Formats: sequence, C-alpha cells, structure tokens
Amino acid sequence: MNPGRVSQFLLFAFVGAAEAEFVAGDLAEEFASLANRRGPRVARRWYFRQVVRSILPLLTVRLRSGEFTRALLAAAGAVIPLAILDRLWSFVYSQIPLKESLHRDPALLAMNVGLLVVSAWLAGLRVRTRPEAVSSAVLAAALTALVLCAGPAPAPVLYVALAIPAAPVGCLTACCWRRSG
Amino acid sequence: MPKGDTLGEFEYLVLLAIVRLRDNAYGMRVRQEIADRTGRDTSIGAVYATLDRLESKRLIAGTISAPTPERGGRAKRSFEITRAGLAALNRTRRDFASMLEGLVFPPQGAPR
Repeated sequence: MNPGRVSQFLLFAFVGAAEAEFVAGDLAEEFASLANRRGPRVARRWYFRQVVRSILPLLTVRLRSGEFTRALLAAAGAVIPLAILDRLWSFVYSQIPLKESLHRDPALLAMNVGLLVVSAWLAGLRVRTRPEAVSSAVLAAALTALVLCAGPAPAPVLYVALAIPAAPVGCLTACCWRRSG
Repeated sequence: MPKGDTLGEFEYLVLLAIVRLRDNAYGMRVRQEIADRTGRDTSIGAVYATLDRLESKRLIAGTISAPTPERGGRAKRSFEITRAGLAALNRTRRDFASMLEGLVFPPQGAPR
C-alpha cells in the first residue's frame, strides 16, 4: 500500500536525505499499522498531515547540519571568478569616455560563460549529496543573475540568458559525474 | 549553569520517553509514547528535530540499524540516553519538584 506520491515527494524534497530516510521508515511503519486498523484513506490523510507538519521542524535540522552553508559556499565558489571578470570589465567600461557604441566582444563573453561552467563544475565536485547539489545549483543561478544585473554596464541579453543556466548545469553535471564514478 | 544544560519542556518529554522505551526508542515509538501518555498529537518532524538537538547536546546517542521490509526497506535510527542525559533529566525533575513543593492545586487566587 502506497502512502501517496505527493507526500513522499514533499518529504524527500524538503527534508535532508539522511533524515528523510529514517522519517520515511518510521512513517511507513505507522502508516501500515493505521491502514490495517482504519483503512488506507484515513492512513493516507494522516501520512500527508504528518509530512506537512514535519517540513518546518525538519528544515531546521537541515539548517543546523550546515548543508545550506556548504551549498552557499559552493555557489559562491562557482560565481566568484565571473564576478571578478565582470567587475574588471565594469571598471574598464567606466574609464572610457564616449562609450555609447562600445560593445563587449562576443568571444570575451563566451569565455566568461565557459569560465563559469568550469568554476561551477569544480565547485560541484565538492558537494556531498544530491539535495546539496540542487541547493547549490539554485543558489549559483541566483548569484549569477545578481552579479550580471547589478553591474553598472548593461549585460547583453543573450549573455545573461546563457550565463544563468551555465552555473547550475556545471554544478549538477559535476555532482552526477562524481556519483557515477 | 550553561544554557545547553537546561531542558525545554518537549526535550524533557522526549528524554523521558526514551528512558521508558529502553531498547526500542526511535522516532515513531517516541512520538506514540508521548501521544499515549500526554494526549499530544506531535508530528514526527518535531520529534526528530528535538532528537537531533538532544544528540548535539550529547544527552542521547543514536545508532543506525539495518533496513527492514516493514519499514519499506528503510533504515532505523534508535536512541539511548547518555550519562549527561540522565544528569540533565534528574536536574530538571529536581527543579520541577522544587517549584511544585508546597503548592496546592488549584492555586489560591486562581481564576475560577
């Protein structure tokens, strides 16, 4: 008997992998006994309520474990080289008078995106678990968007559109590569 | 007394449940024990968050056992109280007893 896909998805999406394993086992045990006594419908409702009520306390456990700090450090490690290059460009840009027609060389922008993928890949090698890799990928995308949009010089749209997914792709492929190896 | 040495109310209940359950103290049993004895319908997440806190204070120690089919092939984490946990439990019990000493319920002057 299945306690419901939505409940299980919520449990594993929000709760740290290690904790979710024990919590899911405990819930499965109680779910089976409740389903025998009061029927699968009541048991499923009970399971879902337990999962929803458990998300917040278990997120605090995940925070205490340092997982978010590690994910944030990995994301920062991925984006910092790009941020340095972008600040350098902004400085050069600010030194040039009459800059209306000045555009960044596409080859330079492509190099920036390539560097971002490489640094994100290297940062992704340091994350330990899949949920940590997902957290660092999301954070890396957000940090990249922040770095590109907060600069004084407007960044080309295509460059932004390529750079924002580049960081999470680098992080996640590194994590998958490490897990498969 | 350092802040980590004192027990919150729910921590106290969880530690007492672990002592009562002896070798069979794990998340679901602790939750059921508290529900049976106090009537509180606590979430399994709240129990695990408290167990994690107590473990980080070194008041309990956890051991992981092999996965079983009745748990959907998932491992189980059991807990036992440590010497520091027993000391914290005794201290809290003494504090409660001392605060309750001489009080008559319902207390005089309490709203009726």
